[in-house]
Amino acid sequence: MSSTVYAIDPDAAGAIGARRDLVRESARRSLVRRRLLGRAAIVLCVVAVAVSLAPLVALVTYTTSRGIHALSWTFLTHIPTPPGIPGGGVSNAIVGTVIIVGVAVAMAVPVGIMAALFLVERTGRIASALRFAADVLTGVPSIAVGAFAVAVFVDPFDHYSGLVGSFALATLMLPIVIRANEAAMRSVPRDLWEAGLALGVRRSRVVRSVVLRGALPGLVTGNLLAVSRAVGETAPLLFTIFGSGFLVANPTQPMQALPLTIFTDGTSAQPSSQLIAWGSAFVLLVLVLVLSVVARVVSARLNRQAR
Amino acid sequence: MAPTLLEEVPPPRLTPVGGVKEALQRRSARPGGRAYTVVRWSGAVLFAAIVVALVVSLLASSSQAFAHSGLSFFWSGTYNAAKDIYPTGVFILGTLITTAVAIILAVPIGVGTAAFLSEFAPRWLATPLSVAIDLIAAVPSIVVGLWGLLVLQPIFTRHVEPFMKKIPVLEWFFHGPALGPSMFLAGTVLAVMILPTIVALSRTSMSAVAVEDREAARALGATRWQVVTTAVVPGARTGIEAAVTLGIGRAMGETIAVAMVIGNNYALPHSLLSPGATLGSAIINNFGEASPGLDRASVIGLVVVLLVLSALVNVGGQLLMRARSRVVGATT
Repeated sequence: MSSTVYAIDPDAAGAIGARRDLVRESARRSLVRRRLLGRAAIVLCVVAVAVSLAPLVALVTYTTSRGIHALSWTFLTHIPTPPGIPGGGVSNAIVGTVIIVGVAVAMAVPVGIMAALFLVERTGRIASALRFAADVLTGVPSIAVGAFAVAVFVDPFDHYSGLVGSFALATLMLPIVIRANEAAMRSVPRDLWEAGLALGVRRSRVVRSVVLRGALPGLVTGNLLAVSRAVGETAPLLFTIFGSGFLVANPTQPMQALPLTIFTDGTSAQPSSQLIAWGSAFVLLVLVLVLSVVARVVSARLNRQAR
Repeated sequence: MAPTLLEEVPPPRLTPVGGVKEALQRRSARPGGRAYTVVRWSGAVLFAAIVVALVVSLLASSSQAFAHSGLSFFWSGTYNAAKDIYPTGVFILGTLITTAVAIILAVPIGVGTAAFLSEFAPRWLATPLSVAIDLIAAVPSIVVGLWGLLVLQPIFTRHVEPFMKKIPVLEWFFHGPALGPSMFLAGTVLAVMILPTIVALSRTSMSAVAVEDREAARALGATRWQVVTTAVVPGARTGIEAAVTLGIGRAMGETIAVAMVIGNNYALPHSLLSPGATLGSAIINNFGEASPGLDRASVIGLVVVLLVLSALVNVGGQLLMRARSRVVGATT
């Protein structure tokens, strides 16, 4: 860097001034152009919001308005009437959904927590293979899981039952539950594990009173969200639980479930059947939304308590 | 190397105090705790067993169909009692077309919505909208299918599909009569189904981009929109890609909602307006009626094809993301 002093003759000064004006002008123009482009893009984003909200809002409000129309005490507490006879309800489907999903949760959640503990505690080839399997299985079409349950439990014994449906739903939930639980357990600081172990506490005890307790909000949320996904699944149930027009509380027998009712009544041409489908869809919607809201609220509350 | 120069020093005798001795003698004082090891391993083994059983049982129960038609199962199809043949190629084509329609509709709209919610919307608007969309993501696909069948289908037949036929260029895809059920309707229903998921995931990953990155872009003179294109979208790219992969997977694997609106036509589709069939809809429509034997094996063969397709998307997406994160890791 030499310190040369430049003498500026008046002509050159004029050229520099012109050049500066040119730069200013082009910068201004670029800014105007970029601002306009940005405005246009933001307007497009607003349009996107409108376009995406329209069907979603329409879906929920339409289901709600038609569903409330169908809803009554009889609808919730009675079994369906034979085709053509008015009245009747879907109590069989509600009870069936609750029992089938309940049994599925009882199958999937303990195994999910155990497998997640394995993934958290172990590094290496087995753990990463299992993790990979869980990730791939999460994306498996639910009909594949249904076909699997049919091939393993229905075909050999030639017997449909709610239990097989529960097994299919549990298989579907398992990878989601495992990964969610693993993430929740990993959110517990490593220091806490080590502090527990350094106190000479048994590993199982550290897991029980430090890890599982610390991960509780995440565990509750993850498992509830998996349940809310399982509640609405149709494909795994269609060929496993067979359906039933009666109130069945015994899961070893064929059962009915809400998604099944929606499918069979919704595809019928009878307006009365379609109304039943809307009512069932509304009940299912409420069930799923309540589960998701509870999941969020519980995790928020537990998080606050933990602090 | 025995210590020859040093005297043999007897090790100091440690006398455990109080309960420690007993504690050490208890079996459960072992480092892991035997029961706990059993618990962890049984979880892992059960899960692995289910994965293996799923693959093996589906392959075993479809083997008859593959033995019957060989590799031609994948394009020309195989035996079906009612219709002589399952045109697997048509189903694969239908799956790809409906998925493409869904992705083309849902990704720009979904990512645009996510960008608005994460970057431009004021907080009083963004928070309730985001929560609402997160909740709508939980709506079961059967409900979307019901709505598509009873509400969307009449609207599409009367208004939307005739309108699409008038748009230049697009009209090329929309020739033929608007009968009601169509590939286009199925794609749209799938788009509605995956839209909230795409919005929710993209928004989360966009919001997670560091404030410093945005500020840096702002400091360099970027407009608010340029901040999105230069800082937010590149930073959230992995999350957006994950959202799209998930959307593709769900759209391909959906069965019920598609079966309700696609019309289940096994002929080669010639337009987006013609009724068609996907792997999922064909499985749903034939699984119950297929008699045991070659017929059932053929339907389960379709399940295997669907499984392979979705696994390809899934594994491909994951490998892509891993490769990207490795590149990013190498450069930073």
